[in-house]
Amino acid sequence: MTAHTPLNPMPLTLRVRAIETLSPSLKRLTLVSADGAALPPPPPGSHLTLALPLDGAQTRSYSIVSPANDRAAYGLIVRRAERSRGGSAYIHQRLAVGDRLKSAVPTSQFHLHSLARKHVLIGGGVGLTPLLSFLHDLRVQGRPVELHQICRADEADAFRQILEPFAGHAIHLHTGRTRLDLQAILGGQPLGAHLYICGPEPLTAAVRAAAADVGWPAGAVHHESFGASGGAPFTVRLARSGRDIAVGEDETLLEALEAAGANPPALCRGGACGECITVVLDGAPDHRDHFLSSDDRASGRLVMPCVSRAKTALLTLDL
Amino acid sequence: MNDQGIKSRPSYRLLSLDPTGRRHLLLSDGTAVGAFADDTTLQDFDERWTISDLGEAHPGGDHQARDLTFGAEPQLLADLDRRLKTEQIGLRLYAIGTEPFLWRVMAVAAEAGMGRDEVRLFAGRLGPRRVYCIHCGVIADGVVANVATCPGCGAALFVRDHFSRRLNAFAGVKVDAEVPGDLPAVEILYA
Repeated sequence: MTAHTPLNPMPLTLRVRAIETLSPSLKRLTLVSADGAALPPPPPGSHLTLALPLDGAQTRSYSIVSPANDRAAYGLIVRRAERSRGGSAYIHQRLAVGDRLKSAVPTSQFHLHSLARKHVLIGGGVGLTPLLSFLHDLRVQGRPVELHQICRADEADAFRQILEPFAGHAIHLHTGRTRLDLQAILGGQPLGAHLYICGPEPLTAAVRAAAADVGWPAGAVHHESFGASGGAPFTVRLARSGRDIAVGEDETLLEALEAAGANPPALCRGGACGECITVVLDGAPDHRDHFLSSDDRASGRLVMPCVSRAKTALLTLDL
Repeated sequence: MNDQGIKSRPSYRLLSLDPTGRRHLLLSDGTAVGAFADDTTLQDFDERWTISDLGEAHPGGDHQARDLTFGAEPQLLADLDRRLKTEQIGLRLYAIGTEPFLWRVMAVAAEAGMGRDEVRLFAGRLGPRRVYCIHCGVIADGVVANVATCPGCGAALFVRDHFSRRLNAFAGVKVDAEVPGDLPAVEILYA
């Protein structure tokens, strides 16, 4: 029998080299390897999961905005959430230059489609961050790209500054979605274009609806939503130990399990990789992953705790 | 019995309009009948392009017409290529005809960036096969039997159901490689 040695989920030690205030709500972090070794290259669209010294060690994930070929440092832009669960507040108020943080290796579930003839990127607020790494990559490859960034008026200057390095490309900054003619933007795109959306759920929904209205094929529309991890609170019961753990409205099922000391295997934390797949014994999962097949979903016997929740007040897992 | 159980062999479904599309262009090589599902008729398509041996010279440049008739397939494919270069997302293509025609249409569509979910194909008649010799790379056109002689290297090729969408051809593999001259009975299968 071979002993199963779990991979260290947080193998990197990073040092905060710089913290730059972009606006009252946005900070840019530059993280370098604590021992000076080259960092694993971050694929375009990837995020970095950091262990933050909140109540116990908690993990938070942020998109990497630096280029994939920059192995000296990871750049993050972190928006201070109005209802912070602790992570963004910690980064904005307490994190200091010189601090060390453990992190996972960057992983990506938000990919550029290599056969696309043109890439149309739509960002909402800090949802711009994964799109920035796309912009770096597409610029290097010389691929056609068009970006529309939607933000609040008071953040426009900050986003204008963030997008400054990409001047000369088709970059459009919009303050507010109301005057934005999504159908005109999406309807005028050439065959073979692919669309990438990252922003709050209402924006994502509006863009996807507009894309469907003008006839985009579903396979050419890609999105990554944030702020969708929450939902109604529920209780998860661990069948093997009989423990009940409360899952709050602002935390994921996986985070609640980890905070309670139950550490199911997990890798991508975005519903893509399948690593955290868990057997459901009772209750109805609210599936939000991209991994399970429709048959798996219909069976209700499996759940991906990193993104999915429960439709019932109690969800019993085989843990 | 001609099903070799090979999954790459395309299967085709009767055409119906893709409700996610906004403009629908139907292409036909004029050989197909009975190509539509019950809920679909010719009138559902915004434009219909056909090839007809009896067709008059094709009305060059008039892309306003709902119906165009082309004298030969290369004209239709060349016009399609020109058209797709300026098209916008939302278009759906439909092709009916022989299998080689369908995949030539698909190649033009793919060249323009269209994906498989933007094109629907229906082979009204499978017709003779294009066979790619896996030994010398030459393609034999118009193969109707289970065994074909490669026009490139002369090998006797067994025609597999193994279909390449990129090459628009079925794989042909030397049938008597182990015992030279040991050939199966010839059957006409793809006429």
